[in-house]
Amino acid sequence: MVWVSRFSAVLVLLLAGGAAYAHHSAPAFYKVDERITVSGTVTEFRFSNPHAIVKLEVVGEDGEKQEWTAETTSPSVLRRRGWSQQSFTPGERVTLEGMPSLDGSYLIRITRAFREDGTEIGIPPGTNN
Amino acid sequence: MRATNFFFALVVGAVALGAASERLHAQSPQGHGIAGFWTLEPGPMPPRRAPTPAEAELIAHFPEGTVLLADAGAFEFPPGDYGGLDVHEHLREAAKGYDPGDQTDVSLTCRPPGVIYSMQGPFPIEIFEGRDLIVIKLEYFDLVRVIFMNETEHPDDWPHSHTGHSYGSWDGDTLVVHTAKLLPGTLFNNGVDHTEDVRLLERFRLADENTLIVSQQFEDPGSFTGTAARVMSFRRGDDHVYPYDCDPTYGLAIESRQGPE
Repeated sequence: MVWVSRFSAVLVLLLAGGAAYAHHSAPAFYKVDERITVSGTVTEFRFSNPHAIVKLEVVGEDGEKQEWTAETTSPSVLRRRGWSQQSFTPGERVTLEGMPSLDGSYLIRITRAFREDGTEIGIPPGTNN
Repeated sequence: MRATNFFFALVVGAVALGAASERLHAQSPQGHGIAGFWTLEPGPMPPRRAPTPAEAELIAHFPEGTVLLADAGAFEFPPGDYGGLDVHEHLREAAKGYDPGDQTDVSLTCRPPGVIYSMQGPFPIEIFEGRDLIVIKLEYFDLVRVIFMNETEHPDDWPHSHTGHSYGSWDGDTLVVHTAKLLPGTLFNNGVDHTEDVRLLERFRLADENTLIVSQQFEDPGSFTGTAARVMSFRRGDDHVYPYDCDPTYGLAIESRQGPE
């Protein structure tokens, strides 16, 4: 089941991650002043620069499976927020909060991530840098 | 006696362990005090906020008419906005066709943006101060800058690169660095590049032992008229820069995304 809620967010660039406005520009792909939430099962996690990638299998409202691509900021930045190569395990269910794609594809720029029990993955952005 | 020796060994061991542990952390300030690990202060930089006294001192060095760009740090100009800089018309026109999606191409993903843009980005830097060299490691794209403190000009035959050729000198407690021989690189991350003839002048100065102010001013008659500048404030940290090890296939994951267009 996918639940996607949209809400306006005050554009605080630092909350989007330190690298959001660097070489690989977030505004090129994302609506940086909006947020969505996506829940699903992790199928792949790549923790490498310039940006880490989480692949997520999500069940849509129509019952069909969707493959979502979730992008983070730089792992260099995330390591200082407590993320690591082990932050996501294939098969686990997670909820991701972030910016929706400009083109409507199943793409999200992660701003926060949570395990199934609600535990936040890493230190929330903006609290230590 | 044995007990005394054992106790002495314990004390020596503890001191040695402490020293080893200390070495795991950031280097101690030495020389002029700028050595160490620095992260960009979060939040806006001048002119998005009023400059601090230390920033104002560096800003006072800018030539009259200098355009102080408001994109230092995490901020970025949208397409077509060059912060008031008089960018040449043909480059403005060319920038209209700029596709930021190209950044995810395998051939471009790991191409460093160049030192002018990279120094104001949100990644940390680490400075090592020696007698004849000052080395600045940027976490961003693993860039390493060498500043020759025993040179006073750019060699004609020095190859162009993303970090160029830099020489520096101390003006009191301010490190003044001249850089040239830079490959064309982005100025604003929105489609306008400087040419390989760009000249960069930077000043590094401590506001206090834990705050480093860096100014950059640059001129490039091939891409804009006049002088552009930025001012950044860095905070000392107890850390080292991490390897960046850019993965060029990152963009493939983005390009293979699914879903309705």
